[in-house]
Amino acid sequence: MGTYALRRVIQMIPLLLVISLVIFGLTALQPGDPVDQLVFGNSNITPEDIARLRAAYGLDQPWITRYFFWLQQAVTGNFGYSQDFGIPALEYIFQNRLPNTLLLTVPALVISTLIAVPLGIFSAVRQYSVLDYLLTFFAFVAVSAPVFWVGALALYFFAIYLPQLTGGLLSLPPGGLGGDVPPEAGWLAVTLDKLKYLLLPLMILMLREIAVTMRFMRANMLETLTQDYVRTARAKGLADRRVLYKHALRNAVTPIVTIMGLSIPGLFGGAVITETVFSWPGMGKAILDALVTKDFNVVMVCLMMLALLTVVFQLLTDLAYALVDPRIRYS
Amino acid sequence: MKKTFALTAFLLGAALAGPANNSLVVGTSQEPPNIYDPWSTNNLAITSEINGYMGAGLTYQDDNGETKADIATRVPTLGNGDYKVVKDSKGDVIRNSVTYTIRKDAKWSDGTPIKVADFQFWLKLENDDRVPVPDRDPWDRAKITVNDADTFTITFEPPYLFADQVSPGLAPSHVMSAAWNAFDAKTKNEKDAKVVNEEWKKFIASFTTARNLPKVVAGPFKPTAWRTGNSLTMTRNPVYWNQPKNPENYVQTVTYRFIPNTNTLKVNILSGQLDAVSAVGLTFDQGVDLSRNERSKYKTYFVPGAVWEHIDINARGQRAKDLDLDDPRMRQALLYAIDRDALTKALFQGKQAVSNSWIGPVSKLYKKDVNDYNLNVARAKQLFAALGWTPGSDGILQKAGKKLSLNFSTTAGNTTRERVQQILQAQWKAVGVQVNIQNYPASVIFGPDFLSKGESGKWDMAMYAWSNNPVFEEGNLWKSEGIPTAANGYSGQNNPGWNNAEYDKLYKQAKVEFNQADRIKLFDRMQAIWNAEVPALPLYFRVNVYTKVPGLVNYTFSAITQYPSWNAANIGWASRGAAEEYKQK
Repeated sequence: MGTYALRRVIQMIPLLLVISLVIFGLTALQPGDPVDQLVFGNSNITPEDIARLRAAYGLDQPWITRYFFWLQQAVTGNFGYSQDFGIPALEYIFQNRLPNTLLLTVPALVISTLIAVPLGIFSAVRQYSVLDYLLTFFAFVAVSAPVFWVGALALYFFAIYLPQLTGGLLSLPPGGLGGDVPPEAGWLAVTLDKLKYLLLPLMILMLREIAVTMRFMRANMLETLTQDYVRTARAKGLADRRVLYKHALRNAVTPIVTIMGLSIPGLFGGAVITETVFSWPGMGKAILDALVTKDFNVVMVCLMMLALLTVVFQLLTDLAYALVDPRIRYS
Repeated sequence: MKKTFALTAFLLGAALAGPANNSLVVGTSQEPPNIYDPWSTNNLAITSEINGYMGAGLTYQDDNGETKADIATRVPTLGNGDYKVVKDSKGDVIRNSVTYTIRKDAKWSDGTPIKVADFQFWLKLENDDRVPVPDRDPWDRAKITVNDADTFTITFEPPYLFADQVSPGLAPSHVMSAAWNAFDAKTKNEKDAKVVNEEWKKFIASFTTARNLPKVVAGPFKPTAWRTGNSLTMTRNPVYWNQPKNPENYVQTVTYRFIPNTNTLKVNILSGQLDAVSAVGLTFDQGVDLSRNERSKYKTYFVPGAVWEHIDINARGQRAKDLDLDDPRMRQALLYAIDRDALTKALFQGKQAVSNSWIGPVSKLYKKDVNDYNLNVARAKQLFAALGWTPGSDGILQKAGKKLSLNFSTTAGNTTRERVQQILQAQWKAVGVQVNIQNYPASVIFGPDFLSKGESGKWDMAMYAWSNNPVFEEGNLWKSEGIPTAANGYSGQNNPGWNNAEYDKLYKQAKVEFNQADRIKLFDRMQAIWNAEVPALPLYFRVNVYTKVPGLVNYTFSAITQYPSWNAANIGWASRGAAEEYKQK
């Protein structure tokens, strides 16, 4: 397996190079560039000014030349400056955006899994019961309702109507990251302040995650319960509880673990719509903004990070398969 | 105590701001790339607004367009001899100059006096090829002469029309010089512009970003905390000289909250989290919606602005010729065929007035009595007929087997423009003009291959906006030299390709006409010519929408000042003793 892993790691290098070339090319070939923003609407700008600015930003070179300049810098760890924030792109992402995304998405993933898995099992075991119908209906609504719509409703309810209903006693802030409380106020005050801002986007993100995972778990469990070995176990006279938790559950949960492994790169990409609705400054919003404003260096850092995470977690998932499923061998 | 307060705030969801602690929380939908960059290497509106809190100039303009002194002891005028105009034997102005004396008490926020050297340092970098300023007009023709320790003269040759109204920038040379010298030494012989630019970014980023807040500033507020993606806080600068009487009665802390989603921004206003909204934030529709739910918690303002919405008519290329778009009669007919009054009433409650010129009513150059092109279907039909366009069996005008079918583009996703488009499309259809809506993202419309490449027939009509400070109007939008061509690198702004010899002549005269009354006469004629030929269909001047809570005083702006930060030192709460000097018009 070691040789296999090493071979896969070596294969990643050309793959990442191709990905970087494609991303850079696609980004560079979209219409407009950062100089357009400076040029448009400025009736005093001269052709010389435009040529000077394009040269300064390196935009007078063909994109392939620019790519190799970027690559040359990138292999030394220099990913350039963010055009929009004036700080190194790498620093902007890792210090300003990634922590916010993790703060939002990791609890969302963990808590929603902890809630969704038991609900999925319950729903499968009690198939066609009233509760199963209710849970299935909830999942259907949560998956179908657009996040921006549910988010907007939640914003209006918790930030406007709830304070009105309770005479201002209860409310949640309408978006942002917190910061009402200075660090001197102590960790408890700062954490509560952060939590106050985190609650709404977390709830909305979890709603969908719970629905998706629950449906998946329910389907897996139902499929597992119809397997021969489950029937055999039951025929042998084993207690229902033992058949369920000892035999069926372990097999039904395995695909969930795999799917979670593969969803981790997406987790870093953030939840674009949730972040947008709640003005939560995370990675997803950063990628979207950088694409709109042609902040090329930030786009490259974000997308390359996601590409790297995808190939790494793909490898880890493949290796994990071998660990959990004795039928798979990489020798 | 503080912990208890924070916990209570959590339960109550209250914003820790307002008169209680004499602070101000402003919401905005943009975040600046950097702040207090003396050379303004980005042109985002929010940067200008926030810089207003931290910046100071020799002079400034108030909401009425009156020039006032700030760092300078007085405003240079011909009367007091600080503004001079030099003419040649033919009477043409060949040079002009302004002399400024720096106030003795003008200091940087670290207490260092502001000196002539700070203006010289700024000008040197402004004109350095390695500094990526968008344009250097008029500073590439400016020279500073030192008269004494606190007095200097800035001379423009060729002369600059607005020399007495715009003052040069300044940068803290005592803080930035050493880093600049290091940059200078490192990049002196560097041929690769991208390498130079990387070094420049390092230099400027060390003084202007969230990671490295400006070390010293000159204005009424200084930055104290910037959390990227979240907020920027500024506190009152105690050494700022132009303070109101009893400065402790005025706002002590200003926090800008960056809320990129304007709907979330709106919810923040409704839930009372913000004291005011930036000039860069709400859309018109959101303003109308907010004005319906005020409940005396806040007030919504619609400030007449200098952003001009219009439809460029592409008069370039063979397609334009075939469609007669290069004939003024066709453009007049298109304008007569639409009811702009009804449109602004229906969509904007009449708050955005119909325009008939590219110059706004707030400018001294504005000509009132031009043709107003009120809806006149009969006249429109007459003009179409005069050009040989007759209705076909399907009701669409036809000529030589061609239908009068026009492609109408605007920025996709701008709901206001898209609604305007649909109304106009229906109105044109009523007179036999078929209009095909073809919208594109703003990056395409304003990208290098669309508006400026009109001769290739990529568009027939394009709706977008121009913004210009009404004080500095030059009329250069319509000069024929400004038609984007391969020869000028597609850099002009005259996208319709309008070419009028008389306008060009008048524009050149106006450019060097230093007498305001004569200049107004020249602009009268320029507007009359423009209005007769309508190279673009004028629609309306946009209003800027913002809200503020009752009791917040001197938080105002106009089409001239553009941002409420022009008066930062005087913003305050009436309940804390701040005196109201300016009311929002």
